[in-house]
Amino acid sequence: MIRSQPVSFFDRIVAWSLHLQLPIVVRYLLAAITILAVGWGRILFVPDTLPWLLFIPATIAIALVAGKGPGIFAAFLSAATGIASLGTIEHPTWVPRQQWVAASLFLIVMLGIVMLSAELRESLRRARRLNEELVESERQAVERQAFLSGVLASSTDCIKVLDLDGKLTFMSEGGQHVMEISDFNEVVGCPWPDFWQDAGNAEAKAAIEAARRGEARSFIGKADTYLGTPKWWHVAVSPIAGLDGRPNRILSVSRDITNLRASEEERDRFVRLAENSTDFIGMARTNGSVFYVNDAARRLVGLEDADITQLTIADFFPPDRIETVMREVLPAVDRDGHWAGELDFQHFRTGELIPVLYSVFPVTDAMGTLIGYGTVTRDFRERRHAEDDMRLMNGELAHRLKNVLAVVQSISQQTLRTAPDMASASHDLGARLVALGAATDVLTGTSWRSADLCEVATRALAPHGAIGERILLDGPRVNLKAEVTVAFALALHELATNAAKYGALSNDSGTVTFGWDIAGKGADATLSICWQEQGGPLVSPPQRKGFGSTLIERSLKSYFRGRAATHYKPEGLSFELEARLSDAATTGE
Amino acid sequence: MGQSNPIGSNTVLIVEPEALVRFDMIAFFEEREWRVYEAEDADQAMDILDQRKDIRVVLIDAMASGRMDGLKLAHYVRERFPPTLLFVVSGNAPIPQDALPQKATFLPKPFDLHRVMRQIEQSPVTP
Repeated sequence: MIRSQPVSFFDRIVAWSLHLQLPIVVRYLLAAITILAVGWGRILFVPDTLPWLLFIPATIAIALVAGKGPGIFAAFLSAATGIASLGTIEHPTWVPRQQWVAASLFLIVMLGIVMLSAELRESLRRARRLNEELVESERQAVERQAFLSGVLASSTDCIKVLDLDGKLTFMSEGGQHVMEISDFNEVVGCPWPDFWQDAGNAEAKAAIEAARRGEARSFIGKADTYLGTPKWWHVAVSPIAGLDGRPNRILSVSRDITNLRASEEERDRFVRLAENSTDFIGMARTNGSVFYVNDAARRLVGLEDADITQLTIADFFPPDRIETVMREVLPAVDRDGHWAGELDFQHFRTGELIPVLYSVFPVTDAMGTLIGYGTVTRDFRERRHAEDDMRLMNGELAHRLKNVLAVVQSISQQTLRTAPDMASASHDLGARLVALGAATDVLTGTSWRSADLCEVATRALAPHGAIGERILLDGPRVNLKAEVTVAFALALHELATNAAKYGALSNDSGTVTFGWDIAGKGADATLSICWQEQGGPLVSPPQRKGFGSTLIERSLKSYFRGRAATHYKPEGLSFELEARLSDAATTGE
Repeated sequence: MGQSNPIGSNTVLIVEPEALVRFDMIAFFEEREWRVYEAEDADQAMDILDQRKDIRVVLIDAMASGRMDGLKLAHYVRERFPPTLLFVVSGNAPIPQDALPQKATFLPKPFDLHRVMRQIEQSPVTP
């Protein structure tokens, strides 16, 4: 806004003269010319009776237009010109005495008027200057305000002014834009903390409380825009001091950090990925010094609460592997971009070797410059154990296979050695191998640990007679040791074969009772086994004991480390075996 | 610690815990009119060795148990009875030559008794 120009003619003249800024000599010259011209005019047109009349306005005008100096000069010059134009040379005092008095009075009055006029001119000049200063400062104020509102409007932050109760009184244009408010009047006076959700609400209230006490606060919170778009904000709340220096309003500047937050959350997820991984994850600088390991890594190598900043890659390995890591692994990473293989870590407290699948890769910064090495290393203890177990199992399997082959070889040889002819040799051998196979089946079912006596007996005897009809089985549950199972099955096979040839199973009515029992407890427990034939033809002791009989008595004695006896009673053959339970069976299940 | 009495006799000691296998070996040698001593474990074998000084061939299953295992028993036999013809049998991985006693033959299970017999027949009877 520009102040109005002076309007009176007088004002304009003075303003014009002030504006003109004539040099002082010119002003005096103009004053002299004016007064001399007035003097000349007085001589030509005005009677001597009114000699001073015309000088008065001229001097006043000069004082107003040219200032005090020229005004005083004009007053003196007017008096002088008047005296000069009135007098004659003949008169002894040039003019009569009354004229000198009048001239003096005129001079005194004019000096007064000149001073007054000059003062008037000065005050007008000051007023003009003040006005100009006012206009200038107002222009500056307008400019500053335009600047500030430009800044406020162009800021993407939401800048708000709240009263001390936390109610909205102002919001910047940019702020209204990011808050998606089309008309500020809709929200003016609303309590600002109500915009915040959850923890943000409490934070906002606390920030206002703090601002009332004169303290600045900042917090991060979640708030929806006016249209309901969820956003994250960083908020700075500070008091605005009033004239008395005490807070009388509150400034709140909120910055939309939703995108930043999203990228932070994404980064957080990667951090958690590493933190929560059950694999060993670690990073080290190119000089080998470690700067990160995750919790799984700390647990694996016993660094739970240790300071890792002093550690290097080499510290994780047993001394004899450090060379491999430094000479082969890290150079391979530099060269090929990756290295993976089985190595051992060393536990920091116990020194235990920990088999791991060590995988190393370069870690680069955003510019692609190598800053170190990263590793995702898998605990391979279980796997290594499994492999060891597998190797052991494989060896064990080979061993058992060879033993079974040796047994087969032995049985074949003896069958062939004792058989009266090829046909019976073939028949006997086939049947024995079937019995052997059945016993092996039962053992395989328990990974060759033990075999259920009843199941072994059932499998060995079933080919010779109906179980439960011709062959009756009875006894408690006993788990035979693997070592005795094959011989036991073969012995039962031989007993049944003999019974089918000469004994209770050779007719249609005889039966075999096969029973076993445990007597005593603990280390003294004994296992007794009894094979009793009844209902067969009359029994007489054999002339010569064949291989089958040898198998039954000798081998069972040997395997069971017990007593075995065959009784050839006329009413039926019986076979008894007694052994310590611990020699025959596994304890427990 | 008596030096064993060398042995023109056909006497064999079979140390084999698996009776089914042992019986065949016993029958094989007995068929050929050898005197056969059998042992289930190292303890029985050492008792027999202490009593019988005329044993020419010792066949030991490395898996034999007792105060010492079969392999240790083989070394014991070699030290105590140097002229003995020594065979070490195992169903496990082959025993390396340097783990065996001197002049001992390793036989992986199952093995051919006829070949063992040929080797015995070709070995000079040390006086």
